[in-house]
Amino acid sequence: MRERIIAMKERITDILSEVKNKISAAVSEGELQNVKSAYIGRQGALSLLMKELPNLVPALRPEMGSLLNQAKKQVTELVDAKRMELKLKASEVSPDFDCSVPGIMPGQGGLHPITQMCYDLNDTFRSMGFEIFQEDDITSELYAFDKLNFPQNHPARESMDTYWLEGHDTGSTNEKLCLRPHLTGGSVRYMQTHKPPYRFVYPGRVYRNETTDAHHERAFFQYEALIVDKDITFTSGKVMIKSILSKVFGTDVAVRMRSGFFPFVEPGFEIDMECQVCGGKGCSVCKHVGWIEVMPGGSPHPNVLRAAGLDPDEYTGFYVNIGLDRLVMMRYGVDDVRLFHSADLRFLTQFK
Amino acid sequence: MKLSLSWIRDYVAVPEDFDLKKLAYDLTMSTVEVEDAEYLADRFAHMVVGVIQEIQAHPNADKLRVCKVDIGGETKEIVCGGINLQEGMRVAVSCPGAVVRWHGEGEPVVIKNSKLRGVESFGMICASDEIGLGDLFPASREAEILDLSAFDVPAGTPLADALDMNDVLLEIDNKSMTNRPDLWGHYGIAREIAALYDLPLTEIRPYTTDAQSDFQVEISDPNRCSRYIGVELSGVEVKPSPYRMQNRLWKAGMRPINALVDITNYVMLATGNPTHAFDADHIVDHITVRHAADGEVLKLLNDRELTLCEDDLVIADSQGPVALAGVMGGSKDSILPDTKRVILEVANFESTGIRRTALRYDNRTEASSRYEKAIDPERCEQALALSMQYFQELYPEMKVNGCCDRYVKKLQRAEIDVNLKWLAKRLGKDLPDSVIGRKLELLGFDVKTEGGNMHVTAPSWRSTGDISMKDDVMEEVARMYGYDHFEATEFTTSFHGAINQKEQDLIRNIKEYLAFRCGMQEVYTYPWMNDTFVDAVLQCRDGVLKLATPPAPDFSCIRSSLLPNLCEAAAKNERYFDDFSIFEEAQVFFDRNYSSPYDESESLPEQRRHIGGVFASGRKDITALFREAKGALEYMPRHTHMEPFTFRKEEKPLWADDVVWLNICLGDERIGDLGLLAKKVSMECGIKNLSVMLFELDALKLKPLKSRTNRFTHLAEYPETDYDISMLFESNASWADIYEAIMGKKKASALLKAASFVDEYRGKQVPAGKKSVTVRLTIGSDEKTLTSQEIENAANQIMKKLHKAMGAELRTQ
Repeated sequence: MRERIIAMKERITDILSEVKNKISAAVSEGELQNVKSAYIGRQGALSLLMKELPNLVPALRPEMGSLLNQAKKQVTELVDAKRMELKLKASEVSPDFDCSVPGIMPGQGGLHPITQMCYDLNDTFRSMGFEIFQEDDITSELYAFDKLNFPQNHPARESMDTYWLEGHDTGSTNEKLCLRPHLTGGSVRYMQTHKPPYRFVYPGRVYRNETTDAHHERAFFQYEALIVDKDITFTSGKVMIKSILSKVFGTDVAVRMRSGFFPFVEPGFEIDMECQVCGGKGCSVCKHVGWIEVMPGGSPHPNVLRAAGLDPDEYTGFYVNIGLDRLVMMRYGVDDVRLFHSADLRFLTQFK
Repeated sequence: MKLSLSWIRDYVAVPEDFDLKKLAYDLTMSTVEVEDAEYLADRFAHMVVGVIQEIQAHPNADKLRVCKVDIGGETKEIVCGGINLQEGMRVAVSCPGAVVRWHGEGEPVVIKNSKLRGVESFGMICASDEIGLGDLFPASREAEILDLSAFDVPAGTPLADALDMNDVLLEIDNKSMTNRPDLWGHYGIAREIAALYDLPLTEIRPYTTDAQSDFQVEISDPNRCSRYIGVELSGVEVKPSPYRMQNRLWKAGMRPINALVDITNYVMLATGNPTHAFDADHIVDHITVRHAADGEVLKLLNDRELTLCEDDLVIADSQGPVALAGVMGGSKDSILPDTKRVILEVANFESTGIRRTALRYDNRTEASSRYEKAIDPERCEQALALSMQYFQELYPEMKVNGCCDRYVKKLQRAEIDVNLKWLAKRLGKDLPDSVIGRKLELLGFDVKTEGGNMHVTAPSWRSTGDISMKDDVMEEVARMYGYDHFEATEFTTSFHGAINQKEQDLIRNIKEYLAFRCGMQEVYTYPWMNDTFVDAVLQCRDGVLKLATPPAPDFSCIRSSLLPNLCEAAAKNERYFDDFSIFEEAQVFFDRNYSSPYDESESLPEQRRHIGGVFASGRKDITALFREAKGALEYMPRHTHMEPFTFRKEEKPLWADDVVWLNICLGDERIGDLGLLAKKVSMECGIKNLSVMLFELDALKLKPLKSRTNRFTHLAEYPETDYDISMLFESNASWADIYEAIMGKKKASALLKAASFVDEYRGKQVPAGKKSVTVRLTIGSDEKTLTSQEIENAANQIMKKLHKAMGAELRTQ
């Protein structure tokens, strides 16, 4: 009898280890189901052992019964655990799912590329403590030219062909009204109404009565930055220019200042940056000189400071005027300036 | 302006081996922009002088000849169609590799060996315009070959050597020297180069004469003509000028005419001072420089007949005007084929007067464009000296009959005191006095330094307005020292507190909200509007400002609203898109409410800043499109932190559909509109298939909040349930009324937390004259978790209220 019991216990141990091996090898629900019915199903190995219990002496039946029940429970638990494991492991989706379908673009809208550039610059200048200024598009000749040290009958007045308003296109300069040909007159307005020192930027659209082509527009954007204080040198302007360009192009850009003439600055500069296409070596974009003219700049002319109510012996400053259209064209390689005012969504939606 | 380097070298000894790239760079950095420095000889590469030895008929063509040409050491056969070919003639031969233009037109072509009608031809015998020399050697008839027989050089001489083309042309951007009248001639640039490199400058010695006569000049207005030198010469004649002079005129971009005219042009290009020659036999009595009489008539050299006014200055004789001073000679006095006696004019005219006259008659010339930049009268002496030098050279037999120099308004050289401390501060660099003084002296300034003060006297050629104050002197020092040699200095700054610009930020917030939350694309359009869209959309031009010279006749109105251009943009984009939304932020202008915010003498029209938008779709139904547009506006205040606005229905915008429109109000003020573009307007705008919702807001009326102001709400302690009810209402019942009935002052149920619109439906299962509205009720309690019975009771209560208030019935279907 003793041997029989030992044999039965060994059999249970064997069965359990068999079950464990089979379950760990199982990769599908079907296999698990087979394991279950092979061991604890009606004709399963453990069930068959159960049927042998009546053949045992009554005193041993409870112990063996309990051993068998534990074994059956263990099998059920092992199967369930494996079943959960398989379930979590599997994908819910057909293996044919195509991961190469394109994503859906979030938020179709966007800002105009020039607005984007303008905001980039605003952020840069704000971080350097500049205010942002905005002024009206219609101005008088007084502010478009007189206050900016353009002498009467000076050829420079003509270099900026101006859109005069009907019914306001004759008379003295304070009576003649136009769409502003540049922003600098607005800067005088700012200075007249604020207390120095000044540190502000002034983005805005300006207008010239010109023939248009891929490089010339009747309406375009300028971005003026002006700093006026006591005791600053014209070389401080270099810092301002470098900040602008490194923001726009993401790297330090070499700049040079060379002699230039604009009535409202003294001294005046043409400011060039190293050609970003060839890195200064010379290419067709920079006409083989390695430099591209990006903006005029200089110290505000004493007469301009006077027009703003300041004493030029006390105050001086630095000014730059950036053509935003040109900068955006360089940033993206746009080859026709007229696209900016086209309102053509095929163009505008390219800039996010 | 084009300059010849060899001409410049007449006046300044630029070393032969000087790096021309560096010269161009240095001039660009410190003086004027050199746009191009071209080795002229490159244009004539692979071109030589050939001598025609034999001419034979072409076997296959009547008009062609086969020439045997000696091109130096060898004889080549060249096929040529020239009509003036002769044996022994020197010609320009383009060998293979040379670049020419066929008949002077079209794209440049590289010459290769080729067969012409079956005969091998080595290169080409050229006409002048084929090698870019049409102006220097004008052909008198078609198919005329350039005859170089006058150039005594052996066959095979490179053409560039034979024609004196081993030179460099500097092209200078005129705009970069509008403020430097002294630079508008070869001598001026030479003087600048001499200063830059401390090189000796050749002096032009003044001309002196003891010729005595009764030759007189009278100047009536010294303010308009400060100096006039007249010289009467006899023993001259019209003949070609020497090749060297012609060559230089051509290099500077002028066409040689005859020796008398060429001398005057040459002197202008050399000194920058225009000069003029009259045929003395046509001048009656003596010369007067005077204002024109109103209505006086003058026929110019170019045959234009002008009716003058009192502001014009003329050169006149006793019979009337003979020239428009400083602008152009008259036809009566011009150099004629039989001219034997001339009066040479070397004069100085006041700049703005010349400019007014040139502009008045739209007759700007080389002379006027130089005078209008303000030339110094001292320069007349150089111009006179050079002129006389060339007259004597070209006409050794010439006699000076009389010379009259009337210098009636002396030039004052500009004197400026510069505080050296001030200068150091502005330069950001403490340069030694000796360095500063030397830099200025090289430029012709006289400098006296005493204590901390530098007394500077500008040279005459810089004293006509160019140098007038200490800032100008600073610029001279800085550019001569070299802008490259100043290091960038950091700004020093004081802290003024954080920048707080609510109004500026609000507009940016709104634009970013429309772009990034509402999915709209920002566009820019022009400030002028097309008449078609003005008439269609605005339907009225009251208060619309106009341009005096519009970009096109039907674009004269400038915008008082963004909508016409936005409709145009919608029409344009309809070609490519059937569902899109765009917005624009820009200024609009009104011919009203003039004000003087900055200067009392000014009077500016009302200018506002508007934001306008378009939602256009051929896919969405009107309700969906309307809700999209309204939603963009409804949620704008909350997202952009400004005072909320309301919608009212008070005054229909002219462009809007009869039913679908709203006014946007802030308090009691209407600040904008929203609506569906009326079908008729849409058609007139050329929008064919899209439904279009428009809005426009006056952004200056919007009020930014001081800060983010919404308050936190406690999270619900007990669960809330969403409960949808669908009820039948009268078809014209409004959501506003439904909402008011259940959420208004007397709430339909104490347990109702919120009610929201789900959808509305008219159609099959809904009886005529009715609509079904689905409302989502949020039901909950602050005290306990509600049972489903309690939730249902609350919903029933609300439905009863809707039935009582609006006759709504529960939808059974």
